[in-house]
Amino acid sequence: MPPSFLEEQRKAALDVYEREPVPTWRRSGFWTTTLRHLRLDELEPRHYDPVDSFEELPGVVIDALNSEELAGLIVQRGASTIYTALDDSLADDGVILTSLERAAEEHPDLVERWYMKRLSHEEGKFPAASAAFWTGGAFLHVPDNLKIENPIQVVYVIDEPGTAQYAHTLAVVGQFAEPYLREYCLAPDFEGQALHAGGFELYCRPGSQVKLAHFQDWGSGEIYDISTKRVEIQRDAHCGWVPIHLGGHLTKQTLDIVTAEKGSDMRHNGLYFTEGDEHLDLFTTDLHEQGDTTGDTVWKGALTGESRASYEGLIHIVQGAQNTNTYLQTHSMLLSPKAKADSIPSLIVQTDNVSASHGGTVGEIDEEQVFYMMTRGIPRREAVRILVEGYFEPVIGKLGDPPLEALVRQRIAGKIAAAEEHVEEYIEQR
Amino acid sequence: MSLEIQNLHVRTEDKEILKGVNLKVSKGETHALMGPNGSGKSTLANTIMGNPNYEVTEGRILLNGEDVTEADPDERARAGVFMAFQYPATIPGVSVANFLRTAVNARREEPIKVKEFGSMLRANMDLLRIDPDFTRRYLNEGFSGGEKKRAEILQLAMLKPEFAVLDETDSGLDIDALRIVSDGVNALRGPEMGTLIITHYTRILQYVTPDFVHIMLNGRIVREGGSELATELEDKGYDWVREEVAAGAA
Repeated sequence: MPPSFLEEQRKAALDVYEREPVPTWRRSGFWTTTLRHLRLDELEPRHYDPVDSFEELPGVVIDALNSEELAGLIVQRGASTIYTALDDSLADDGVILTSLERAAEEHPDLVERWYMKRLSHEEGKFPAASAAFWTGGAFLHVPDNLKIENPIQVVYVIDEPGTAQYAHTLAVVGQFAEPYLREYCLAPDFEGQALHAGGFELYCRPGSQVKLAHFQDWGSGEIYDISTKRVEIQRDAHCGWVPIHLGGHLTKQTLDIVTAEKGSDMRHNGLYFTEGDEHLDLFTTDLHEQGDTTGDTVWKGALTGESRASYEGLIHIVQGAQNTNTYLQTHSMLLSPKAKADSIPSLIVQTDNVSASHGGTVGEIDEEQVFYMMTRGIPRREAVRILVEGYFEPVIGKLGDPPLEALVRQRIAGKIAAAEEHVEEYIEQR
Repeated sequence: MSLEIQNLHVRTEDKEILKGVNLKVSKGETHALMGPNGSGKSTLANTIMGNPNYEVTEGRILLNGEDVTEADPDERARAGVFMAFQYPATIPGVSVANFLRTAVNARREEPIKVKEFGSMLRANMDLLRIDPDFTRRYLNEGFSGGEKKRAEILQLAMLKPEFAVLDETDSGLDIDALRIVSDGVNALRGPEMGTLIITHYTRILQYVTPDFVHIMLNGRIVREGGSELATELEDKGYDWVREEVAAGAA
């Protein structure tokens, strides 16, 4: 039996879900994210049987993870948790990695303490949907003082059209612990619609040092991803977060990182690459709730085809959060005349004695750079690819995770190759 | 074996810059092309390399007898032509080492072995007295003028072209850096490479002695001679050439 606090939460969320209309997000008149093509009533949660071994997982998961050594792995396919594995020694150390459903039954006190502490079903129709309908889910608890080198991996996979996947990841990292958490959202190419409505919350307890990576590649299917991800960093803790967006028909995500207590520090380095008619709408907040906190946000994106990408990054320093130092930069690179990018850094500072700066650029590849590389014998195509990869390299290098770095480079190279003719034509014209 | 420029006319947008240039650099020779600002020296270098901003309206460029006037820059490079840029582009996110490996591999069937590449790179860095950390930096990003020029000569050393065009490699260098770069060029000179040094000043020619000197004025080569011509120019200045040419035309 699920604990009553969960049932009450779900009920409250359901009320909000039923009350709220399907939203449209508009900003300053020229940017709109609309769900008018989403046929929500045709989508439904799909259930799958668990599998016994890694080799039986969907191909798209095996491809992405290759034969990497993981500290733990939990895979949710559609609505069902189909695979959970955790290094024996870590289980002995007290690490918990299981579905959120099971965690709520087996560790109700822990889950109740943290669940939805930073997320709220009041935030809108889709946050309410994921809070009301999530199944499976992932729960990670890392005990104090434990350092875990290999990644702890959460995977959400959608591999059939018609799927509605409501997801929720809850992660709590104990004091002075040092884990690396990765969450992948994957789908093979398919025709038809699907939805991923996700909630993600991570709590970094005092003194912890947490690495976090999100990797999204929903393939070429008509997948809508409407998710909220929030990270709270407590006293003297640090979190380095690298979200990577490499595919999704329509993505609307809110990514917030909160330095909640003194001495907390965050590094937030994201990248996106959109193609075809993809639509990406990201809103990030670097929220400083207390003083003596530090932050650095760098987002880089590239666009091909007729894709649209908007990145809005806010630095918010609340009243009394003095002696905060934080920076935000966003860059986007257009690789097609029909793509449109919007980069909006903004700042709300409600106190004095802080250092905060932000900047945004939209750029293009320089023909002088291409010529220079060609004079070294490098063919134009390769030169363009190297320049785009080089543009992303400062973010990719921040991962400090060679297998994921290789995966990102390989996917980006694939996207450039797919758009090659258009990209070349565009650069030559300019 | 030679790089030969025949009656080359070149324009950018509406302006004719080169008005019939003839020049032949054979392997093993070092030529200096001198001229005041705006005489067309850099245009010639860029045209030899195939910069799409320059349009050849007449004449041709032959590489070992083969017409490469219409060839793409990367084809020319792989055929053995190199240019050290006056103002090289910055390539963010691409380390010097990675860039060099890509360029070296662009002209090979099989990629170079890591060990072979490493020892070749070390040898050439020693030659140019370059700090080992240098190769991890992004190419030309935040480089000083001297570092950029050294990075250009390092590429020359790694790519071992048949013909090298050095476009104002001496500009912006202090005396020590000029000496290092010149020593590097001298070490690379030899029967297997023809070199065209483009310069406004004679000072690099005090370190790298040319076999032939050509003086360019207003899109044409107006004087040619041996290394003594550079000395004469040093004494008398470009006004002397201008007056001589004016007198000759009158």
